[in-house]
Amino acid sequence: MNIVGVYSIKGGVGKTATAVNLAYLAAEGGSRTLLWDLDPQAAATFYLRVKPKVKGGGKSLAHGRTDLDGLVKATDFDGLDLLPGDFSLRNMDLMLEDAKRPTKQLLRLLRPLADAYDTVFLDCPPSISLLSENVFRAADLLLVPTVPTTLSERTLDQLTGFLADHVRVSGIEVLPFFSMVNSGLPLQVGLMERVAARYPGMLRTAIPLTADVESMGIHRLPLQVYAPGCPAAHAYRALWAEVQERG
Amino acid sequence: MHQRFQDYLLPSGSKPRLVATLTQCGWRLLEDPPGLAAVRLLDSFDWGAYLAGAIVEERLEAGKRRLLWHDLSGGEPTLEQLIFDAPGLARDLAPGPVQGRILAAIGVRRLLPAVEMEVETQVLRLLDDEEKTLVRLVIEEYRLSGKEPRRGLASRLSVNPLKGYEVEAQAVADWLSHGFALEPALRPLLAEALTLGERPPGGYSSKLAYRLDPAERADEALRQILLGLLDTIEANIPGARENLDSEFLHDLRVATRRTRAALAQIPGVLPPQVETEFRARFAWLQQVTGPVRDLDVYLLDFDAYQASLPQSMRGDLEPLRFYLLSHYADEHRLLVEALNSATMDHLVHHWRQVLTEPTPAEMAPANADRPIKALADERVWRMVRRVRKEGRAITVESPAADMHELRKSCKKLRYLMEFFQNLYLGQAIGGAIKLLKVLLDNLGTFQDLAVQAGHLQDMAARMQAQGLTGTPALLAMGALVADLLRRQETAREAFADTFRGFDSDRGRGLFRGLFHAGPGGADPGAEPGSDPQPDPGHGS
Repeated sequence: MNIVGVYSIKGGVGKTATAVNLAYLAAEGGSRTLLWDLDPQAAATFYLRVKPKVKGGGKSLAHGRTDLDGLVKATDFDGLDLLPGDFSLRNMDLMLEDAKRPTKQLLRLLRPLADAYDTVFLDCPPSISLLSENVFRAADLLLVPTVPTTLSERTLDQLTGFLADHVRVSGIEVLPFFSMVNSGLPLQVGLMERVAARYPGMLRTAIPLTADVESMGIHRLPLQVYAPGCPAAHAYRALWAEVQERG
Repeated sequence: MHQRFQDYLLPSGSKPRLVATLTQCGWRLLEDPPGLAAVRLLDSFDWGAYLAGAIVEERLEAGKRRLLWHDLSGGEPTLEQLIFDAPGLARDLAPGPVQGRILAAIGVRRLLPAVEMEVETQVLRLLDDEEKTLVRLVIEEYRLSGKEPRRGLASRLSVNPLKGYEVEAQAVADWLSHGFALEPALRPLLAEALTLGERPPGGYSSKLAYRLDPAERADEALRQILLGLLDTIEANIPGARENLDSEFLHDLRVATRRTRAALAQIPGVLPPQVETEFRARFAWLQQVTGPVRDLDVYLLDFDAYQASLPQSMRGDLEPLRFYLLSHYADEHRLLVEALNSATMDHLVHHWRQVLTEPTPAEMAPANADRPIKALADERVWRMVRRVRKEGRAITVESPAADMHELRKSCKKLRYLMEFFQNLYLGQAIGGAIKLLKVLLDNLGTFQDLAVQAGHLQDMAARMQAQGLTGTPALLAMGALVADLLRRQETAREAFADTFRGFDSDRGRGLFRGLFHAGPGGADPGAEPGSDPQPDPGHGS
């Protein structure tokens, strides 16, 4: 089972769109895929039209009392299942603090699903927290959508600094990529060149900022389903191919 | 592949009423565009998958080709894997869950189409207020391809539950059974479809299973045996001709050998000129089919040959594979010429004519009207005694030819026991055949390894003479020959113990009880060597 975290300290960078679209592409490619919506905003759950509800709430999850398999919902797409998010996840950090081995709870919960899924995507809430540490411990790869802005660059530095300082999570492969790119803005182009030079391991594919991606909330479907030929859909496909190559 | 709750038979034309009723019941419905799939149900010629309790389906749908393994008992979930080419030999399939099952079930055989169908699929999705699918109802209409008019199978409706929505699926299934009064499909559709193919499932087997009546005239019983063998020969000719897999020729040759054994070992039943003529004609068939079978054996064993060599020498054996393959086409062409020849055509037709036309009473030989059971006892017992005598005479100094003669006698004994198997108590004759098989395996290993080692030495000489090989290949072939001869020596060393097992008190009692019990019944303790009854067949 390959675990892919989609993570950024900063919000509004295209994490959920990335998680949903890549999870869809993984399933389409024949991989038995699970998408875990860890964000209390439950946007991935919304995109996939599942009712946001975690039986027993986030507390049961944090304390490992819940059997994850019983919470899984099939999506409308072959091979893609969802662990829905809900608002009770908002206090996940506080709940994890009370749990035994608080940074390994996520991994412990996922282990029983190892035979059922080939790929698991974790759609993470923004911020850096105990839940994020759980994600860093569990994931094999961390995809970091990075908007070409100074603030995004700064949060990428914060993340890489945090991972470097924490030996227990230093084994994870961090793959930043540019997201919500407006190639018409010269400022962004210059910034992208600088960030790419500073992070040579960065993925080459950039996801454009387009109305097609923004309308995922209207269609409530993966981009590949309602606009498979649009540039952003091509970009997600290229991104997934690159991730598979690197993973 | 989705899990299914239950399949229902959907009466023709009832889909609109189903949709209307579901809508009236408050369900939101979405109909997916219909899909068309080309389906082939596949199995080996001898139904390896079916006999293993499964159906293999190849499904070409939306540009994807999938191979599925359906457990007929329904106890196991369906397995599937994507493939990229039409499947053929099991060993050529890409590794995967289905390939593993197929390989275990059919071995070296090829998957052949048993039934071809077109399937039109319509998915009805039952949605919630978020327009999320809760349950999928799948309607499938099947049309058999091929001969006109196209035959159909009743349409099926299946309830496919989605993970996390099992309660909803169960509610729909209950409603379909009780509210909409659909009849459940009791038999898996694919099992039903399989029966509509041109070949009945499980309809071919190279195994002998005659139903002889003990009191039946010997000539009628022998005709039944020989006609069964002729059916097997004829059934395998097209596959051997097209070289679909190596087992066609193998089964054809085994049936030929059995025919020759029946003619030689059950004498005095058919007119003597028929026996003589057809023993010679079937010897011809055995001879013309030999070279391709030899090459098949080497090619089938090739990977094992390589594996028996040290890692560093394995690649050096490749010129041998090339040599075998380069001769294969020529030898196969000669085989096809023989199978297509007038000689073969006459053999098959004339033989069937002989076997189906009764012999005039005045021409019937001495054994023709004897009860088959009496003749079977006599012939098998005679062969048991011969095997014992030959086996007991073999010492560590005996030449390999003596072992070979013993093997031939053992094979004849085995064929006789298999022809007449149903005339005896199943458990007892099964035990006797098993006991003999252990001895035959030992003798077979000894003989086959010797033959292979000899042929390999000849081939090495020919390859060298034709400049087809270098020193590394010769050394590798030498190492292979040495290994074969070492294994042959091991088989030779094991012979004495193996034969003792066959010739044990238990073994002797078993054979005597079966074939020489006399009117007083079995006498398991008696020693066959001191048998007071004269053996009528001995010395003939």
